[in-house]
Amino acid sequence: MNKLIKQSGLILTTLGLFVGCGVNNVVIDGSFPTPNVSKMPVSIAVYYDDALREFAYLEYSETGSEEYNIQSGASHIQLFDAITPAMFDRVVFVDSMEEAQAAGVDAVFAPAIEEFQLALPAKTKLDVFEVWIKYNMRLLTPEGEYIADWVLTSYGKTPTETFRSVDAAINDAAVVALRDLASSFSLSFGDVPEVKEWLSTQ
Amino acid sequence: MTSLHFLSFLSRGLGLMTFAVMASCTSTTVDEFRQGETGITSEEAVVVLGRRQASDYETRSEFVECVGDRMARGDNAIRIVPEQEFVDAMFPWFEPRTAPLRTQDLEKLMSEEVVADKMGDFGIRYIVWVDGFTETSGRTGSISCTVGPGGAGCFGFGTWEDDSNFDARIWDVGSLKNVGTINTDASGQSYLPALVIPIPLIARVEANACSRLADQLKEFVNGG
Repeated sequence: MNKLIKQSGLILTTLGLFVGCGVNNVVIDGSFPTPNVSKMPVSIAVYYDDALREFAYLEYSETGSEEYNIQSGASHIQLFDAITPAMFDRVVFVDSMEEAQAAGVDAVFAPAIEEFQLALPAKTKLDVFEVWIKYNMRLLTPEGEYIADWVLTSYGKTPTETFRSVDAAINDAAVVALRDLASSFSLSFGDVPEVKEWLSTQ
Repeated sequence: MTSLHFLSFLSRGLGLMTFAVMASCTSTTVDEFRQGETGITSEEAVVVLGRRQASDYETRSEFVECVGDRMARGDNAIRIVPEQEFVDAMFPWFEPRTAPLRTQDLEKLMSEEVVADKMGDFGIRYIVWVDGFTETSGRTGSISCTVGPGGAGCFGFGTWEDDSNFDARIWDVGSLKNVGTINTDASGQSYLPALVIPIPLIARVEANACSRLADQLKEFVNGG
């Protein structure tokens, strides 16, 4: 029995050491202001799928091992929660497309992340941390048919600083990228041809 | 202590002091180009913003804050709106990708009711756009440190040069015109001699660029 406890302890300690030397988890955390834009006279349901809610990006080192696990799903939801009520007359947040149909809205907005890229100074030899994100913005009818489907990219960078950790710099660059997304989304939404056409019918 | 030892100690001290004074020296040049009349009342304010459009560098927010803080102090102090507070309140109009690059863009932006209202709420009379960075070059020398049973110590010498170059463009929100540009260029050599203990003799290049730029901006905005 004692031998078993000792062996388990040894395995756990070894595992702990391996975990300690493994991937760095970076949970993106920032605050996002409400945009100062004119509200569009439509009611929108906002639906976040599981892929967006749990979005995480893994950055690998040059030797192929997992280096950074960047979790940005929650911050994306926080961002869309802040900007959509400022853009549309009525906004309801739903957990499923069925719920959206029952909410009696004009359309359903369902954002998705297609690609996430991270550039670290150690690899690029530049004095900046950079984050680039590609989104697929989808505007659907309550029945689930496409009204518009467009690509939006966002970019954020932050300079290297002596007393700032890599985790903090990645977070800062990601927050700048999220703010960039919020600004381009809120300012360009009405200019997307399919959205423009749909808005004119509302 | 014999008189010979005392003289040797004194000369070493003097040598170190001269070295420190020389090391702390930076040369700063300020150029001003005025394109319009300026002046500000106590109800009006200035916002100092950093340009962040360049791909390979961005104006550090600490430098922008330093310029603003210095303009808000001393004689003829000016009311300064903090950069982050202004950018957040104006969101999304002053983000790196959406900020106006020319005064014509500002004119277009001011036609947005919400932007004009916020600008009025803050009482902004001038927007100062600061653009630039500090570059370190000419790193030479080496320092090695050792730890042993008898103690620890470093030996060697390092030196480098810092060069700060910042442009400040002043936009008059009333006339929607660029009323002037101030350029500050500061450079200085830093030294790091190590004889048991490393003694950093750092040239305060960016701090000097900040203080000279802020003083000149304050004078400029006040109409001096």
